[in-house]
Amino acid sequence: MTGQPALLLAPRLLAARNVVRRAPGRPLLVAVLTTVFWAGCFSAFVRVLGYFQRLPDFGPLLTQRLLGLLFLCFGAVLLVSNTVTALGTFYLADDVAPLLAAPVPARRLHHARFVETLLSSSWMVLVVMLPALAAYGVVHDAGATYYLGTVAVLVPFLVIPAALGVLVTTVLVFLFPARGVRDALLAGTPLVLGAGVLAVRLLDPERLARPSGLAGFAGFLADLGAPGSPWLPSTWAAEVLLPLLGSHGGDALFHLGLLASTATMLFLVSATLVEAVFLRAWTHAQTGRAEPAAAERLLTRWLAGLVRPLPRIPGLLLAKDAAVFLRDATQWSQLLLVGALVAIYVYNFAALPLDDDSPLAVAMRDLAALLNLGLGAFVTTAVAVRFVYPMPSLEGRAWWIVRTAPVALERIWWAKFWGAFLPLLAFASALVFATNALLVVTPAVTAVFLVSLVPLVAAEVSLGLWLGARHATLDTRNAAQIATSFGAIVYMLVSLCLIALVVAAESWPVAGLLGLARSGMPGGLDLTLRAVALGWVVSVPAFVVAWRRGLQAWSRL
Amino acid sequence: MIRIDGLRKTYGAIVAVDGLSLEVGPGTVLGFLGRNGAGKTTTIRMMMGLLEPTAGTVVLGGHDIRREPEAAKAVTGYLPDHPHLYDKLTGHEYLAFVAGLYGVSRRETRQRAASLLAELDLAPHAGALVETFSHGMRQRLALAGALIHRPRILVLDEPMVGLDPQGALELRRLLQRLAREGVAIFLSTHSLSVAEDVSTHIAILDGGRLVALGTFDELRARACAAGGNGRDPAEAVSLEDVFLGILGSQP
Repeated sequence: MTGQPALLLAPRLLAARNVVRRAPGRPLLVAVLTTVFWAGCFSAFVRVLGYFQRLPDFGPLLTQRLLGLLFLCFGAVLLVSNTVTALGTFYLADDVAPLLAAPVPARRLHHARFVETLLSSSWMVLVVMLPALAAYGVVHDAGATYYLGTVAVLVPFLVIPAALGVLVTTVLVFLFPARGVRDALLAGTPLVLGAGVLAVRLLDPERLARPSGLAGFAGFLADLGAPGSPWLPSTWAAEVLLPLLGSHGGDALFHLGLLASTATMLFLVSATLVEAVFLRAWTHAQTGRAEPAAAERLLTRWLAGLVRPLPRIPGLLLAKDAAVFLRDATQWSQLLLVGALVAIYVYNFAALPLDDDSPLAVAMRDLAALLNLGLGAFVTTAVAVRFVYPMPSLEGRAWWIVRTAPVALERIWWAKFWGAFLPLLAFASALVFATNALLVVTPAVTAVFLVSLVPLVAAEVSLGLWLGARHATLDTRNAAQIATSFGAIVYMLVSLCLIALVVAAESWPVAGLLGLARSGMPGGLDLTLRAVALGWVVSVPAFVVAWRRGLQAWSRL
Repeated sequence: MIRIDGLRKTYGAIVAVDGLSLEVGPGTVLGFLGRNGAGKTTTIRMMMGLLEPTAGTVVLGGHDIRREPEAAKAVTGYLPDHPHLYDKLTGHEYLAFVAGLYGVSRRETRQRAASLLAELDLAPHAGALVETFSHGMRQRLALAGALIHRPRILVLDEPMVGLDPQGALELRRLLQRLAREGVAIFLSTHSLSVAEDVSTHIAILDGGRLVALGTFDELRARACAAGGNGRDPAEAVSLEDVFLGILGSQP
């Protein structure tokens, strides 16, 4: 028998090492971008937490509840992300077949794929989570035990959703042999999303955001101070760290034990299940339909009709991309992840107090409104990294078909651009408009955000098409893997830096507009125009640079 | 139809193609031969605009591939050595897509696709997803895509790989028919028997340089004269002998 998990991970590790050897500047670039992003996030978290902490009476309680909410939101995203990723790494990856043919025990295969799933699904969450947790330590002036505790908490906290994701995927793939992976995941979607919604309901996050003025304040304090659901790992994680922050007493070791034992138990259950059913489940996953299903054919025909008014080449490329997207489980299944992100995002806004004039409520509302452009764009980037960035790679080895056709590269690029830009702009605009409406933000600010989104989303799409082509992995057919590659990290970080710049450029005039609205004063046209102009000054050059570089990168594909 | 002049490609100090010049006229089938790594695929990739040459020109149907890439590609059909296709499209959808890229009208696409699918024995599988196709079926579908716009030039890189004997025979016949119809065919292959059967002219590339160009008879005469590969010139009757003889005489 062969196949130690480390050996099974060797191809990925060696490939990564070879990439680094060929381009030694890459790790440096990632390090610089990560540092810039982390520094920005860290400073923002420190300011926000510091502000909350200084609020009289209930500030510290609020930051405690925010920690629980942070773990809950990230836990839900991790659960969906791991479920989608496990489908690719365990059941759809090309390299599973040779491993099955080799004398590798299924349990070891599980361990190797488990690590791969966990890392692929968790890095993006960690990028945001680590500066937030570090900010907690700084604001609370915590000792070394807090930071050690953070590491101890994060390991089982990441293992739990990974194990659950592998379990859910395996059970679904195993249960739905004839109807294929797509139907399995479609059936599993409500389960996963339902579990996420249930988890959110159990924590009841609106408690932290509904101070109800000063009336019944004692009740509010009691409510705010109560821990979240004792059944959730996110609560256990928070309950390990809060005593280490000195926020309140509690048994950190007990909760750490709960986390660790649950993670171990779920990992072992996942390994045992995969060991027992892997071959059968994998075989089921390979049993694809020979022909598209009737509904799929109808949808494809409808799409072909939809693109008919467009010029022929963009229409053809769009219809082709849409058909491939709808038939490729590794592509469309990522919509689940996006759905979860959006649900959590909108839910958090819905939970903010709307009918309250207490200082806390007003401060939170203004802060949320001020950051809403950036947060909406952040969610849009999370969508773009999964759907726009992989576009060049997904052309894959079939790129020769388009490249040897009598179609100018520029036309192909623009077809790809419009195909991604319009839906993404509609998505981002709807998201920002809806959440601004929930916050009852003044129309001037909403207008600023919507107009700012046009060049910002264009720049994000352009960046995705550039970096996606620059770091194309033409031999990877799994969209989920492309979205977690080196280039995707660079794309994500560059996009986040761009968003941060736009938000920073617009923050002063937008804060002015919010102040005017709060005080009921008219006017603000100059502030509106200034905000828009500042946003465009940052986004438009980014778009132009990415477009020019992108065309060069596409010509070298 | 095809004119290659001083074509050169270098990767740093490595010379992949070195000053290649040749012409292929209408109705000509040029068998493009060479050892592994001789520069055949690099040449073809430069011909099709998939790779920027270091120097030299490629003119297809009167259009320089670098100056007028769309016009040059419009008259050319191309089949690569590994024809990766869109796995999630059906055979019919794939042909309709390719036809659209080449500006073939929808009505003509329907007729042409039906005819090619039948000719290449793919009609029963036209509605199936490409991912369910065998290698040979993919090869034939890619060939149908290369022919859908009635090209005047056909560039084929190892077209016989993956085909069963029946498929290979049908492809030979198809190429001969196309040549009779006036299509200029650039055929890169390792299969000397295919080249011998189908080609009107032979070009042999070695180390990126063109070491032989002519009709089979001309090359045979040259190989006999050189007495290549240590053989008796009188024995050099097959293309294999010619090929080995010419390459054996290279330094």
